[in-house]
Amino acid sequence: MSSKLAILLAGVAALFAQDMPLDNAVKINLPPDSPLTLISESLGESHVSRRGSAVVLDLDVSLTLHNSSANRVRGVTLLVAAQEVTPGGKASVSVPSLDVSPNQNFPVRINLRLLRPAQMGGGPLVQVNLDGVLFQDFSFYGPNRLDSRRSMTAWEMEAQRDRKYFKSILAARGIDGLKQAMLESLNRQAERPRLDVQVARGPAVASAAVGDHNVKFAFLRFPDSPVEPIEGWAEIAGNEARNPRIDVRNLTSRQVRYVEIDWLVSDRQGNQFMAGSVPASGPAFNLKAGSTSRVLQDTTLRISKDGGAPFAIAGMTGFVGQVEFADGKVWIPNREALASAQLLGVLAPSPEEQRLMDLYRKKGPKALADELSKF
Amino acid sequence: MTHPNQSDLALYAGQDLGWFARWRTERHLARCQECRIQVRGFQSVSEELAGLNDLPAIAWNRLAAEMRANIRLGLAAGECVRDEPAPGLPAWMSGARAVAACASVMALVAAGLFLQRPTPTAPAMASEKAVLRATASGIELDQGGQTLSLLHARAADVTYSAGAQGSIGAGYVDSDTGNVTINSVYVQ
Repeated sequence: MSSKLAILLAGVAALFAQDMPLDNAVKINLPPDSPLTLISESLGESHVSRRGSAVVLDLDVSLTLHNSSANRVRGVTLLVAAQEVTPGGKASVSVPSLDVSPNQNFPVRINLRLLRPAQMGGGPLVQVNLDGVLFQDFSFYGPNRLDSRRSMTAWEMEAQRDRKYFKSILAARGIDGLKQAMLESLNRQAERPRLDVQVARGPAVASAAVGDHNVKFAFLRFPDSPVEPIEGWAEIAGNEARNPRIDVRNLTSRQVRYVEIDWLVSDRQGNQFMAGSVPASGPAFNLKAGSTSRVLQDTTLRISKDGGAPFAIAGMTGFVGQVEFADGKVWIPNREALASAQLLGVLAPSPEEQRLMDLYRKKGPKALADELSKF
Repeated sequence: MTHPNQSDLALYAGQDLGWFARWRTERHLARCQECRIQVRGFQSVSEELAGLNDLPAIAWNRLAAEMRANIRLGLAAGECVRDEPAPGLPAWMSGARAVAACASVMALVAAGLFLQRPTPTAPAMASEKAVLRATASGIELDQGGQTLSLLHARAADVTYSAGAQGSIGAGYVDSDTGNVTINSVYVQ
């Protein structure tokens, strides 16, 4: 009896999954006073499929937004939430390195997959809200729930830094020099050692496999960094790194509201890999001028490489990767400091360097030189 | 008059008796009020169980199987402690004993129900630890078996970054738009 009912329910669910209209699956919310307006919205190749007793929704959302402000847009962040599916999680899609003039349209794509039970409540599954818009003059619009103002400001500063670097090469060594610099960037990215990292929040579940032990951070220090790391450690158990805690000192006379420590791990052969970053902000983090505070996170990073093989963490290195002052100004390391610390081959390229490399790869050095000359 | 045994009556009440035994039991019930009372007792228990169908998240098949087993166990226990065989003696099936047997079976069923009753539990998603991971096609947040993934299907080269505050980001150039896109998924 009950098995017949289950078969019937599964059949109904299958019909539901196939017939479910996707038109109302996504809701785009832009505030009335938003500097961006929604011109069009398309669900493209979105589709629903079944996986056992669950439904998989592949949402391919194409938006066309219009810059209705009087300022050039440099970056946009959209907050994506699917509260029914993952109440504790949210997502964002950011498009940095833009150069959208007033009254110009530009596209944003959101590719989202939801795996959920066949039967759930109605209403839009996905809500997309504007979190922030960054303009050319670093002014900002938006609720900033994801701290996108800082993120986009940092990306724009990295973009200016990296464009300046490549423009200086173009000026000094011409197209051939630019080509050579691009090839070096491409080779660095191709050879950059990569790890697979899983992130879980909250207190770690005790691991019986390997005994926990604290490992101290070694620190790299940049001469112009406004914040200095003093000491820090994390609990290491096999391929898991937990609860990083780092003491930092504000070397300036300005209040700091955000510090991000970039976190490298090394294997027994001394090879370094980028594991992640340890940020600190919020009311609990108070770094007044000249004071000391602690950067800490209750998080577990599970690190593996080569498609899942556990990575034995032999050492850890940290350096200050980003600082935001109370007035919203952001500090990032300069390119020379990263190069002299031999970090360019370990760190991921900035979004702008990614864009320039892609442009070079697809259209060649002349198109890249033309692009650099626009800024 | 020879009475059917109680397990047959219980199975008859649940319509689980084979056709021949059912026919024989029906013939007996037509002329035996004591056994009809017992069957009604079993049926009322069955109806109470059916009324619980509205409650969510009960493994009904398992519960029904356990209850049948409990009934049989109770009957078997009764047989074990009985002083003398009961070849259909009227004294064995006296009204007081029948009521006592029904009461004990119902107590057994009630105990089974109590032990198996649905208890308010927090949603599975809340108790499960959410895990963020980068996959070949995107970033996936897995929360109690339900997942939210941001995909980068059109990307040739993707750079990942993990934040210890509970985030993973994936940066890539969208081949359709030519724009750098940074997908981030956060876990709280």
